[in-house]
Amino acid sequence: MSTDHQSEGDVTGEERTILLIGSGPIQIGQAAEFDYSGAQACRALQEEGARVVLVNSNPATIMTDPEMADRVYIEPITTEAISEIIAEENPDGVIAGLGGQTGLNVTAELAEEGVLEEYDVEIMGTPLETIYATEDRDLFRQRMEKIGQPVPASTTISLDEDEAVSEMTEADLEDRVQAAVDEVGGLPVIARTTYTLGGSGSGVVHEFDELLRRVRKGLRLSRNSEVLITESIAGWVEYEYEVMRDADDSCIIICNMENIDPMGIHTGESTVVTPSQIVPDEGHQEMRTAALDVIRELGIQGGCNIQFAWHDDGTPGGEYRVVEVNPRVSRSSALASKATGYPIARVTAKVALGKRLHEIDNEITGETTAAFEPAIDYVVTKVPRWPKDKFDDVDFELTTAMKSTGEAMAIGRTFEESLLKSLRSTEYDPDVDWDDVTDEELEDHYLERPSPDRPYAMFEAYERGYTTEEVVELTGIFEWYAERYHRVAKSMRAAQDGDFTEAAIAGHTNTSIAATTGSTVDTVETDVPGRTYKQVDTCAGEFEAETPYYYSARKSEFDKGPLVGDAAAGELEVDRDVESIIVVGGGPIRIGQGVEFDYCSVHAVRALRELGIDAHVVNNNPETVSTDYDTSDGLFFEPITAEEVADVAEAADADGVMIQFGGQTSVNIGEPLHDEIERRGLDCDVMGTSVEAMDLAEDRDRFNALMDELDIAQPDGGTATSKEEALELAHDIGYPVLVRPSYVLGGRAMEVVHDDEELERYIEEAVRVAPDKPILVDEFLADAVELDVDAVADGRSVLIGGIMEHVESAGVHSGDSACMIPPRSLDEETLERVREVTEDIASALKTRGLMNVQLAVKDGEVYVLEANPRSSRTVPFVSKATGVPIAKLAAKVMAGETLESLGVDEQIPEHTSIKEVVLPFDRLPGSDPRLGPEMKSTGEVMGTASEFGTAYWKAQQASSNAVSDGTAVVDFDIDGFEDHFEVATFDDVPQAIREGKVDFVVSRDRDSLEMAVEEEIPYLSTEASAKAYVEGLEAADGNLEVETISDRPKRTARWGTGE
Amino acid sequence: MTAAYVALEGGHVLEGRGRAPGTARGELVFTTAYTGYEESLTDPSYEEQVLAFSYPLIGNYGVREERFESDRVHPRAVIARELTEDVSEWLADESVPAVDHLDTREVVTDIRDGGAMKCGIAVGEDVTPEDALEELEACKGMSDHTEIGEQVSVDEPVVHGEDNDGETVALVDCGAKGSIVSSLVERNATVHVLPHDSSVETVAEIDPDVLFISNGPGDPANYEQAVGLVEEFVEDTPVAGICLGQQVVARALGGSTEKMAFGHRGVNQPVLDLESGQVVMTTQNHGYTVAEPGEHLEVSQINVNDDTPEGLDGTEYDVLTRQYHPEANPGPQDTFDFFDDVLAMGETSPRAVPADD
Repeated sequence: MSTDHQSEGDVTGEERTILLIGSGPIQIGQAAEFDYSGAQACRALQEEGARVVLVNSNPATIMTDPEMADRVYIEPITTEAISEIIAEENPDGVIAGLGGQTGLNVTAELAEEGVLEEYDVEIMGTPLETIYATEDRDLFRQRMEKIGQPVPASTTISLDEDEAVSEMTEADLEDRVQAAVDEVGGLPVIARTTYTLGGSGSGVVHEFDELLRRVRKGLRLSRNSEVLITESIAGWVEYEYEVMRDADDSCIIICNMENIDPMGIHTGESTVVTPSQIVPDEGHQEMRTAALDVIRELGIQGGCNIQFAWHDDGTPGGEYRVVEVNPRVSRSSALASKATGYPIARVTAKVALGKRLHEIDNEITGETTAAFEPAIDYVVTKVPRWPKDKFDDVDFELTTAMKSTGEAMAIGRTFEESLLKSLRSTEYDPDVDWDDVTDEELEDHYLERPSPDRPYAMFEAYERGYTTEEVVELTGIFEWYAERYHRVAKSMRAAQDGDFTEAAIAGHTNTSIAATTGSTVDTVETDVPGRTYKQVDTCAGEFEAETPYYYSARKSEFDKGPLVGDAAAGELEVDRDVESIIVVGGGPIRIGQGVEFDYCSVHAVRALRELGIDAHVVNNNPETVSTDYDTSDGLFFEPITAEEVADVAEAADADGVMIQFGGQTSVNIGEPLHDEIERRGLDCDVMGTSVEAMDLAEDRDRFNALMDELDIAQPDGGTATSKEEALELAHDIGYPVLVRPSYVLGGRAMEVVHDDEELERYIEEAVRVAPDKPILVDEFLADAVELDVDAVADGRSVLIGGIMEHVESAGVHSGDSACMIPPRSLDEETLERVREVTEDIASALKTRGLMNVQLAVKDGEVYVLEANPRSSRTVPFVSKATGVPIAKLAAKVMAGETLESLGVDEQIPEHTSIKEVVLPFDRLPGSDPRLGPEMKSTGEVMGTASEFGTAYWKAQQASSNAVSDGTAVVDFDIDGFEDHFEVATFDDVPQAIREGKVDFVVSRDRDSLEMAVEEEIPYLSTEASAKAYVEGLEAADGNLEVETISDRPKRTARWGTGE
Repeated sequence: MTAAYVALEGGHVLEGRGRAPGTARGELVFTTAYTGYEESLTDPSYEEQVLAFSYPLIGNYGVREERFESDRVHPRAVIARELTEDVSEWLADESVPAVDHLDTREVVTDIRDGGAMKCGIAVGEDVTPEDALEELEACKGMSDHTEIGEQVSVDEPVVHGEDNDGETVALVDCGAKGSIVSSLVERNATVHVLPHDSSVETVAEIDPDVLFISNGPGDPANYEQAVGLVEEFVEDTPVAGICLGQQVVARALGGSTEKMAFGHRGVNQPVLDLESGQVVMTTQNHGYTVAEPGEHLEVSQINVNDDTPEGLDGTEYDVLTRQYHPEANPGPQDTFDFFDDVLAMGETSPRAVPADD
């Protein structure tokens, strides 16, 4: 086939060394998509014979696995660290377009500092000038005007080189802002800062004063001192086109994406549909042609993304504007890749090496090439996931700035099916009792105001008899979509009346239909069309596909009852005769459940395949490696519910399901899945530690009893089902006490309360305690050292992956605490006790697979806080620090191997690795930036060095929190800052921060910290972190100790045995 | 609800939801385009065929005459996963039976595996599976529609762009899409749309700068008069062709054509230009292809997926043809410059071209 047209020239990567820069920690606006793209690019480059050097600061990623590249560095993504890597590895080229904005920015800085030139490193793929041309709005406008492409009216407010915003007079600023507003045709306008992630600091502004404030801040924060003022095209439909271009100028569109929410909402915040539904061919082709013209004009090579605004102006094709170009692989590229099957990162990497599109195979069909435009024969819907449950103080109105942490994608044969699957996949449940919402509130707060609750509010509106016309008027959502929301609402109404078919076809599960109508699953199931599996094949069925990538779809009304055998399997090409296991993934990225669970899922899949077992994945997060088409033997893009996972198990004839690896999402389906498998009589096991033992570990009272039995200390505490019980418990224990609802993820709504008044307020405001919603009241171990232990057990022995010591003291959620491996403040005796406790619990819970134990050490006593027989968020960190792949070991043990037969030893690293977290407060105005018992971090970085100080400092650098001189405000009684900073006091600290007089804040004062967040200056909110920071500062000028993770020294020894 | 049955070659009958009543038969083909249903449904190349859309939702942005490629719907019947009210009402008005709520993905993969197949359709209050089977029984193969040109061609010559002062094009209408005419007229050409069986005299009277053979439905072997025109004029007049037009030209110049398993129908067919190395995306709608171009033509462009000829150049005559639809509508606008190249051929008097140009 395509090999006939291979070019003569050498376009392989043979003998070339290529530096790939990752995107760092997961944050709002930059999630797991760059792990997926980086991992795919690594494979693609190695296929071409290149030697790949990879750097990323995020240990929770697959791309930083030692086997992913020839050389893997987990180091800060700073010019300092990367310069050292370049000096060491001497790369021929660097690919900048695969590490998100972070990778792009650092590459630009490396070029500006002359590092790339000094070491003769070529920027591969898209040239830097192009990147500048897309990021500098004026330059971009000029280029667009040159080729006759319409852009929204726009102007830039910028500072001259010798100007500073703090020195400008108010009147001067006002004049400039007014002139800008006039130039784009008046308010409202969109104000945007260039060079920021996910549109931070941008939004539609209606008021002049608000605009002034934003401009002032924007000018200070922007890397190039610019703020862009644009004509607001609010209400137009927003489109994105994913484009791919090679060096020979072949240029294709991978797909287009239609935002359901009208222009004015960041595409990362919008519900997005692929392909477009409502734009006619002529309009689509005009934008397609424009996309190609723009990409050619800019000289982009590889994948990129272009945004349009479009509206129906009465002409056959409508009218459009070019909004912006992302000259790199992005979150949308990940979505486009998963939506179409076209591997954008892989092709981008190969194009960067000089390959032409028609010389790159399409691995999905195996018979076509990368030089084609995917044809889609299904509807894809993406719904974001917001951390609304974690931030009571934050207004989650959707704007041009991102607040979501992740997203779920679903595929269906109709929009309704795709939408409902996607909504279900986000696992979001609006915290609204619609019965309490008046029509007026429904309209103003839920329909007109875009929020995470809007889709549900639309269903509610239809339920109340609103017409599509009214819903369109209120939401600005296109009629075609609104009508389909109406159909969903009607289908549920019909189900209430006993006709389940429409609801099932619309995408509801049998379980949810049974639950809402008071029927049983057995009844519903026999009455509605069953699900069958379809392939995602890039070509709408035109060619036979080789890669097993599937989605489920209901048959139509002419097929009733559950499908069995071949009918259920549909187009599945999985081998039903061999041993196969399903690994259930983690769904969308959210706080408390990040990319680390995708890491665990992927490792489980790889471990099973190493054992010769077919491994299937059920997941719905388009950003991840686990949902890549070549990760598993069968990829099922599905919501994670017991019913849908059981469907996969039945259709694929799987022997087992692993639910330990996908975080709370997968663990939560354990029990219902077990029941569902039994109901259907499937020969399939929920593998590893029993569902019963997992439940025991989460049931406070039973777990307490077990600990007593094992003679393991626990903080005093108990479960309360009423306010009176809670107060009584608190009095018995003595304040302060730690309170939280039971069964929650990431310490949601956890608080330390110090007296009756605080406890009562907590119960009344934060949680509604009830017999079915108990709260836990525990002794608060002040000043204890907290530990995390990750271990693998096989029923006979226990392998400890690592013991981690938290930097923060008790009272800060373990997920938000920096932590170190190995620990440094425990004596041998304590470590021995830690081991003993871990082994005892593992054995008592009959653990098969992973287990995480959280412990506290106070006055030599080891207390157990929590034990969870499943994967934890520290698993990848432990594996990267020690080199022991515990998630893989766990999967193998669950599949029947023993630790002995696997022949692995525990490893204790000689260096100290610090895990530091990244917090989202800058994206969530109004949130409380103080660390506390509720987890708020979105991601993590790792810093490693021979000494604690250097390692901690590297972690601060990697999390963009390192500053070592200037003026500091220090509210804690801690020595050492004065050696590095001018430590100053101000009457009004927030005001001083706003005026740019402060470079560093160490405080517990919420106002000061909120201002520090707003002004983006480094800060610390706890004494423990401040003490560690001082140690870091001492090491700040020392050697960075840049080294690959494999080269760092470790010794083979068992933790806590003195060996 | 109106009953609907689709009988497939081999006798398998599918049940669906009736959207526009009637009975019909034809060769069942599929297109993978997800936009452009109005253009496809009015494309004369779909004459005598039953069109299944592999994209499940059809009709989302309504129906507007400005987007039509001819004055009527050409497929005999239409199948989709879901048709909107707009599009089903239009089909009903046009008396074209339509069926939805079928598993069209299964229909498409059946065609892929079994080739384009005969089918019979029955839609109506009281229709039965037998009605569909009866239609299937009566269904002819595409090559057996020997008079198909009559059904899609103009009856009398029609002139477009009469006031233009550019080249004069004689467009032999074997089922031409409107966009071919408008693409030429926009480029200042005067286009004489001629019946597919026009005589040599008719063409000679026009004395065109370019003889252009249009797209059209079915087997190029059924367009003998058009083949004859190319044979007659190619020595003195530049010749162009699109789709069936390319096949007609090849047959006229000693090449051969053949039926494909299920053809190319969609808007994402990748075509490699052998000279520039560039790949462009094209719209296609054909079930037959050039097998051998013959000694007077050379292949200038090929399909990246299956290497079939996508563009032919004359080795000694001025000939330029495309298997795909450079006029788009629906589909990518990557190849509009074909019309510039065609008209450029007409600007100069016949070249004495060396064979290796």
